[in-house]
Order: sequence, then structure tokens, then C-alpha cells
Amino acid sequence: MRLAVLCSSPYSETGCAVAARLVQLGHIPVGALTLPSWDRNTLLRKVGQWGVKNSFRYAVAKLAPGKPNTSSRIRNPYLESALRNREGIFRSVHELAAVAGFPVATCASQNSPHAIAQLRQWSPDLLIFTGGNILKDEILSVPRLGVLNSHLALLPEIRGMSSPEWSLLCNIPLGITIHFMDASIDTGRILIRRQFVPATDCESFPDLRNRMIAEGVELISQAVAGLAQGTLAPAPQPDCEKDHQYFVMHDQLKVLAARRLHQILPRPVAALNTHQSGGHNG
Amino acid sequence: MAEPAPSRNIKSMPSNWRLLEPDPGSRKHAIKIKMTSPESASQRKSILTSAARALSEATGLLRAPQRAIPLFSRLASDQLRTTVSHRHLYSYASTTVPTENALRSLIEWILQAQKADGGIAAYYSLLTGYSNSYPEVTGYIIPTLYDFARNPESATGTQTAGEINSSAEKAREAADRATHWLYSLQLPTGAFPGGLHGQAVKPSPSIFNTGQILQGLVRAHIETGSAESLKRAVAVGDWLAAIQLPDGSWSGEAAYQGTPHTYYSMVSWALAQLAAVTRNPQHSAAADKNIDWVLEQVKPSGWFDGINLRSHPTYLHFVAYVIQGTLESGILHQRTDAVQAAAKAAWVLLRKFETHKRLAGTYEPDFTSGQQFACLTGNAQMSCIWLRLFEITGDPRYLNAALKMNELLKQTLPSKSRRPRAIEGVIGGVAGSSPIWGAYQPMRFISWGNKFMADALMLEQRLTRQFEKKFEQELPARPEASECA
Repeated sequence: MRLAVLCSSPYSETGCAVAARLVQLGHIPVGALTLPSWDRNTLLRKVGQWGVKNSFRYAVAKLAPGKPNTSSRIRNPYLESALRNREGIFRSVHELAAVAGFPVATCASQNSPHAIAQLRQWSPDLLIFTGGNILKDEILSVPRLGVLNSHLALLPEIRGMSSPEWSLLCNIPLGITIHFMDASIDTGRILIRRQFVPATDCESFPDLRNRMIAEGVELISQAVAGLAQGTLAPAPQPDCEKDHQYFVMHDQLKVLAARRLHQILPRPVAALNTHQSGGHNG
Repeated sequence: MAEPAPSRNIKSMPSNWRLLEPDPGSRKHAIKIKMTSPESASQRKSILTSAARALSEATGLLRAPQRAIPLFSRLASDQLRTTVSHRHLYSYASTTVPTENALRSLIEWILQAQKADGGIAAYYSLLTGYSNSYPEVTGYIIPTLYDFARNPESATGTQTAGEINSSAEKAREAADRATHWLYSLQLPTGAFPGGLHGQAVKPSPSIFNTGQILQGLVRAHIETGSAESLKRAVAVGDWLAAIQLPDGSWSGEAAYQGTPHTYYSMVSWALAQLAAVTRNPQHSAAADKNIDWVLEQVKPSGWFDGINLRSHPTYLHFVAYVIQGTLESGILHQRTDAVQAAAKAAWVLLRKFETHKRLAGTYEPDFTSGQQFACLTGNAQMSCIWLRLFEITGDPRYLNAALKMNELLKQTLPSKSRRPRAIEGVIGGVAGSSPIWGAYQPMRFISWGNKFMADALMLEQRLTRQFEKKFEQELPARPEASECA
């Protein structure tokens, strides 16, 4: 199966981990398409999402010279097993591509004509989305099978942003859904829908999110394997007429969601860090 | 706000100000088109009148040059904000301005804008200073003042108990004085005049303004038990019911621009409030009849047709009026059809706000393209609407959007710490537009903006407290470690 990966930046840990995990399983991507790392909008969004301090630390971790052989270079420690190589860890999709032997292209927007042309040239059967823009019909129709996404909540109950937090606030079980993307937000056909039970040592929302992202990487690789072997078939989402889309949660509500997380864990959740951590915000 | 008498229409000022916008080419083009139209004579007169008014406003600065400092300070800060601000999905998701501080500033601004006779100014202009009192806004600020007086600790901050009581007393006293001032303005028919106080030679009745004042009279009666307020409110209700058209709309000379408007749903809401007190079926039926007519104007997109403003764009303020009046009437009269229609329109705007982190200052029918300034009053009204929808549906997405909208609004509020040299009329004032030179009430801090923002913040405080309490009660007992292992 011809796979390509869409990343929000060359330094996206989630994008790199997905590609690396696929390589580990023998699915070498035909290419990876990333947004630029120094794009103004991306930088400002990340600062808004993580805060200045965390964004700076992330940049240092990814760009500091020297051998990337310590786990301190990873923001999401649960991705370490996917990112680890013989000499240390992959800090960018470029480093992984150099080892695994697949091309990396950069585009200003994943919906741009340049991006579409590049993908058509790679002619993938399946695209794996790990972050970036809201995809439009044109790019969605490029791969033969579709575009896969890992969403950090059960679908169709919670669509959109801040999904683990909304799950907790609305008292819906935490979960991860691997689904095909369509032109709407998180409404595409479902491949895998699985509840997520946080480990007892889960410390905070960022920690919860990191664990769910890592679990999502594993489920993506399972979905790819299932599609390749023909053992998995997508099912349309029920109840698609109802609007289940949620938006970025205000900190005041996150405090309440944190209380719910505290209740379902056997020990207190650490002080709420309202800045998101790692990967996309599905 | 607001519907003054047509000849003194302060809402027409935005169109006046468009003449000053820095686009001379297109302006000439627009004027040329108008001059060649069949209505060119009247339009020429209108343009000249508008130009004269704009000139008069501009020369206001010459009469009071001390206003130059806050004017240029605000222009510079809004230019800076416009240049460097970058909205993204995470904008306004954190609280940076304490709600209680903002609320206190808003109420203090209103108290400062109240004149000795009890009337409250329509606006403070950075060019001309305080306007005359505005009966309509004075009327519907009364419930806001009583709400604050009932719950002054919502704006405590670092205040002592004595200061809290004093704030409550001041707000209550201001509401009482406003009510008594309004008594003096009521016409023999029961109606109230439109426009700014003291500008018309012969006050002419205004349906919309009368309906808005009715809210204040009803609330004054509820708060004080005043028989006088009730008698006058009933007279208002009788007049409104008597002049209603058979289809449920209001039109004619006392209607703005002589045509019916769906945003008169606010009048229905006031009538429904009156009916809740008087149990008078005539008032109740008039409210229902108008809502029936309003609901006939709803389009499949959720848009309410029939706002019907000639020579004005459809500001968000009016869109929100229609939704708010329909929603509140629907809640009071337990009408699912009205609540659903309001919720549909409110949800369209919620999605727009959450996606773009802004609402346009104006909208075309079906919520299509609008002007890219913020109508802060409309924003505050939408926050009130979302909060009320949260209250009745329990859907936390409405609360979430309102929290973010309130944060946006609080960040535009001039505060003492940010503007140490600002003069009264500026601190705690809600600008008509953001940036302040936007098309809606440019260069002004408007009292009805303060009213709606104060309403939104008080609703936010009340509902978040309730939600937190309910959430805590519903939380399960925390499991022991062994149960989760």
C-alpha cells in the first residue's frame, strides 16, 4: 500500500512518530508533506496553544545542535519508543526520511495547488493526517482510499477541538477514534473506535493528551495494517445530522474538566496546566 | 439602543461618518450614483445634512481640546491592536481581565453618565463629550442597575463590605432616579418619545423606544412595588397593543422609518414581562402576535428577515436584538418555536465566532459577508443570548463561547491601569466599534454597550457559579487507588 503522511511541521513529534511507526512495521511512506516550520501563523498559533515558555523549550529541543540521544529532546515521552533509533531519537521527519529513504516536501498550505500536485505525483493509496490545515475536497480526493485521522475522543459524540476535555466535562468516556476525513469536521467513516482508560499515574491534562496521542499512533498503525490486509472496513458515523462539534475550551471550564479527571483517577491530578501539549488538538 | 425620532436619528451617524472614511475614489463614485438616481434631491439633502453633522462632531474637539489626549491615545492603541493582533483558535480561551473589575468599571461609567435629573447620556464622544440624556437607554438600563444592586459582590474585587453596600445603594438610587425622570417624559397616550432628550421641538412617540422603556418601568415596579411605575407601564402596554397591526407587526409614524421591523421582538419581550406582572391577556396576546409575525420572517438559514433598515447596514446590534427579543419572549411564554428559531440563529453566529474568533460588525442576509469591524454592543448581546441558551438547554458550548466573547470584550475596555491619563467618559466605557473608527457609533463610548456588557458579565457570574455547583454535586465519589489498579 502506498502511504503518505501529512505533518503540521517537519518537527511535529506526532507526524514523525506516525511515519516512524509505519516504517517499523514495514510500511515505508512514499512521501511526507509538511507545513513550513517557521510559518508566522503556525508560530503564533503554537504560542497561543502552548505559551511562550513551552514553545521556546520545544524549539530548543528540536533545533539545539548535538546528538539527539536524550529523551529530554521529546516533549511527548510516550512517543519515545516510536521515535528512537540506533543513534538516539528522530527530531524531525527529515531525519527519519534520510534513514528510511522517502522524500519530504514542504508546502505553504496542505490545500495549495503545489501540495495537491506533489501528492498526485506520489499517487498514494492512503494519506495519514497528523496535523495542519482543515482539508478541502480536492486534497481529500487524491488518495485512492482516503485520508486517515486519529481523533482524541469517541466519535460521533465529541467532534472538534479540546476533545479529551469536553469528554470529561460532558461525562462521556475518554476515547480515540481512527476515521477517514471528509469535508466536515470529524464526520467521516470510522475504522477504529476505542475507549481510553487513563493510567493511574496520569498527572495532568497535557500528560493525558500525550498518552492519548501515543495511543492514537498505535491505533493508526493498526488501522493501516487492517486496511492493507483487508480485515478492517470503515463504517459511516451514526447521527451525523446532529451537531456534535466542540471548540477550544475556555480555561474556566477546563478547571471543571480537571476535577472530573481527578475523580476518575486514584490520586490527585497536578495543578492544571492549561496549555496544550504536543501534536494536534483533535 | 435605539431608535430616535427620524429627524434626530443618532443611529444615522454611522452613515454620516462613512463620508470621512479614507476612500475618496469610491466615495465620489457612490455620490455620483446617488446624484443621478430619481431620489437625488432628497439624497443630496441627506448627504449635506450628514456632512454638516460630521463637521459639527469634528469641531467638537476645538471646543474641548483636552479630549485630544484620550482621542489620540485610543486611536493609537486601536491601530496597534489592529496591526499586531493575531486571532487563532486559542484566542480568548484564558481569563486575563478579572470579570469583577470589568463589571465595576462598567457600572461606574453608567453612574457617571447619569445627569442630575436622572437621565442617562446616550454616549460619550471623544470629539464632543457627553450627549444629551437618552430616554430609551435610560429605560432599559434600569434592570441592569437593579441586577447589580441585588448582587454587588459580583464586582467586589478588593472592596470592603462597606464599599460593596455603597455600590449597591448607588446603583439602586440611580435606577430610582432614572425611573422618576422617565415619568416626566411619558406622553398622554402612554407612549414615550424617540430621540435624544431636549432636541425635538415636539416630542413624537416611538414604538421601539417605548417598548425598551417598558422594561425599566416593569422592573422598577417589581423592585420597589411602586404603583406609579405599574400604572405607567400598563399605559405603555395598552398603547402598544392598541396600535399593533392585525398581522402582529408595528408600523406607521411611530415605527422607525415608517416600516415594520423584526427587531421589535424586543417590544414583545417587554410586553411579555408586563403581562407576567399584570396577567393582562391583552398584553400577552400582543406579545405573542408579534412573535408569530417575527417567526414568519425566519429563513431556512436561521436569518431573520425584516430588520428593514434603510440607509444603514444591518449591524450585529440589530441582528442580536431580533434574536434576543425572540428568545426571551419564547422563554417567558414557553414557546418552543420561538426559542428554537432564536437558538438556530444564535448557533450560526456561535460557529462563526468560534471559527474566526470574531463576529462581523454587520451582516448581509443569511449571515453572509459583513464589515470587518467589531460591533461591541452586538458582541455583548450575543454573549447574553448564548448564556441564556446555556441556562435553558444546559449545552456548555454556549457557556464556552460566552466566556470567550466576554474575555474579548473585557480586553477592549479602557481601564484605569491601562489609561492613567484618560478622562471620565472613557474609563469603563464600551466603544461603539472596535477599532473605534469602525462604522457603528464611531469615536463614541455608548451607554447601551455598557448595559449589555454588564448584563453579560453578571449572567456569566451567576451561571458559572450555578454550573460549578451542579457539576460538583454530580461528580462521583473519588475511587480508592485499589479500585483503579
